[in-house]
Amino acid sequence: MSLDRRRINGPDESFPPVFALDGLQGTLASPRKDRSPTDIRPIFLQPGLISQANGSAYIETAKTKIACAVYGPRQSRNAAYSETGRLNVEVKFTPFSCARRRAPMRDAEDRSIAVAIHQALVSSVRLDLLPKSTIDIFITIIESDGLDGCVASGSVAASAALADAGIELLGLVTSCAAAIVGRDIWLDPTEGEARFSNGTLVLACMPALKKITSVWQTGEMQVTEALGCMDACQEKCTEIHSVVAQALLESPSLK
Amino acid sequence: MASHRVLPGQPISVPPNAPAPQLGGGIYVRDSQLRASLVGEVQQEGPTLSISRVRPRPPAINSVVLGSVTRLSPLQATISISVVDGVPLPAGEEFTGVIRSQDVRATEKDRVKIADSFRGGDVVRGVVISLGDARSYFLTTALNNLGVIFAMSEAGKVMVPVSWKEMRCPETGRLEKRKCAKPE
Amino acid sequence: MTDSALKASIFQRLHPRAYLERFVAEDIRPDGRPFDAWRDVSVNVGSISTADGSALVRLGETTIVCGVKAEIAEPELDKPDEGFLVPNIDLPALCSPKFKPGPPSDEAQVLSDRLNEVLSQIVPLKSLVIHPSKAVWVLYIDATCINYDGNVFDAALIAMVAALRNTVLPKATYNVETGLTICSRAAATPLQILKAPICMSFGVFDAILLADPTAFEEPLLSTTISVVVDENSELVSVVQLGPGVDLDGEDVLSTCISAAKSRRVVLKGQIP
Repeated sequence: MSLDRRRINGPDESFPPVFALDGLQGTLASPRKDRSPTDIRPIFLQPGLISQANGSAYIETAKTKIACAVYGPRQSRNAAYSETGRLNVEVKFTPFSCARRRAPMRDAEDRSIAVAIHQALVSSVRLDLLPKSTIDIFITIIESDGLDGCVASGSVAASAALADAGIELLGLVTSCAAAIVGRDIWLDPTEGEARFSNGTLVLACMPALKKITSVWQTGEMQVTEALGCMDACQEKCTEIHSVVAQALLESPSLK
Repeated sequence: MASHRVLPGQPISVPPNAPAPQLGGGIYVRDSQLRASLVGEVQQEGPTLSISRVRPRPPAINSVVLGSVTRLSPLQATISISVVDGVPLPAGEEFTGVIRSQDVRATEKDRVKIADSFRGGDVVRGVVISLGDARSYFLTTALNNLGVIFAMSEAGKVMVPVSWKEMRCPETGRLEKRKCAKPE
Repeated sequence: MTDSALKASIFQRLHPRAYLERFVAEDIRPDGRPFDAWRDVSVNVGSISTADGSALVRLGETTIVCGVKAEIAEPELDKPDEGFLVPNIDLPALCSPKFKPGPPSDEAQVLSDRLNEVLSQIVPLKSLVIHPSKAVWVLYIDATCINYDGNVFDAALIAMVAALRNTVLPKATYNVETGLTICSRAAATPLQILKAPICMSFGVFDAILLADPTAFEEPLLSTTISVVVDENSELVSVVQLGPGVDLDGEDVLSTCISAAKSRRVVLKGQIP
């Protein structure tokens, strides 16, 4: 590891503790024990907690905790004249957000999650109304329990934060993840479940318009399984939409 | 009343026989269905339907902006825009505008001297005439109610306008040249 | 927002100093506090399961989340019986329009350094030894600002100390033959912590002392003073940035120290 003089540095190398019984890890309770395959973890969504931002939202789905802030529309700097606005998404994990400590450097994983969330949102924002401007969405993952869940929850929080910021949207975006475990579809997989799955799929859509904004599939699954995941996710997205709607309608920051 | 609030994407219904309404901010039409694009309440003013949210927004053509003078050159004054259409932008979120010498006043445009119109730190009220170039928005002060609204004298006191082109320092009584806005 | 509230916020935006002066002339601050009043503090510990210890602190609107991660390393050759304490604060672009994405800002670097100075006095590095010269604990103490509304240092120190107090280390055994360290979840011990320091920061504006300044007030201050006091009201550290001022015939620094000591007593019990 290179020494970064802008931070307080520890030793050159350090390792997470190794536990005596950890050899037993690596099984997954199937069928799912704590919830049914088509259940998602309960969502807690609170818009407007970050007073310094133009709009914001905090989302918690069981262990997953994500804060999202929207700044702008800001004047685009160092960019050519553009008739439409730009949407910029940056994702950051806190160093303590995962089982293994993450060094505070931006890595490829941050980038790929940011791209997935950007994709989920970009067609919902009326960027045609914002020439020369940039909307910055900053997302901090405080605790992660599965990357697919982070993409889905991050997209939901970001869309709520955009609505909180008073940015014109075609519709609210909600998102849900699914995994193929054995031959079953498990919705909203945890980190452990996703690791033991054949493949995962994250779908984002605008339920009010009945339009999909993005599908992100990894691992392997049959076409019929992928279509099954999309159907199940889309159905769940409508439920999530009512959670988001409730949170926005009750939010004091929007009064 | 929370029940009257609509959300982005929510359909907005109009009576079937009513004339097609005009669309203000916060509402769009797609596949001949009116929908909201903001969280808020639908308001009707004459034939126009709109949803308004008081939120900082970027300047658009005809926006009235307030800002302070950050740079002067013989050709133009550079303005750091901090208020757009009566809504302040957060600190650090300014937009850059320029007032070119031909846009300072309506008459004798070619005899305008920027140095006799603005000074660094002055607060100026202007109107956006075009989105300008990649760097800045173009502003005009060529109306009576536009121009400098707040300026400090060389002696460090807040000056009062005495005409559309001069301000007086209350301490020294000296006159300084500015393109003043007519006080409201 | 009403028209008059908008007018006030335009005035605040264009003339921040004059705006604050008008409030100060009425013996009150823009958020309604008297000059010497503190914002409410709330501390929530242990809610992050991926961290070995954690805390979420709110000081008014300022929000800091801190997590401790314990890892194992070889000690430095010249300090075979000392572990490592690695505190850092991140001020991400998320928390304020002041910050842009990228490497730590100057402000974050200064804050991390000051936090390091205080924390190094409260956790004895010798208590982090598993086996001298072979294996020691490294405690990464990472704080992230979620909302930057001023006085971040006070909030960050509360968060870091609370997260450390919430931290338990598994029992670790170094095997001399294999050179491996094996831990057991069954036996865990809390960290040894010597002091409970709390920082109280003040700012001077036009010869008025403001306690616990907000993000709006901070850029207008001529002097800022931070006083760190432990649970016995003993001074741990004092930092003054900017010129000294006399307030009512007394130097501002001694006024702050006594104000901090009495505030420390109030906070006893409120903050872990």
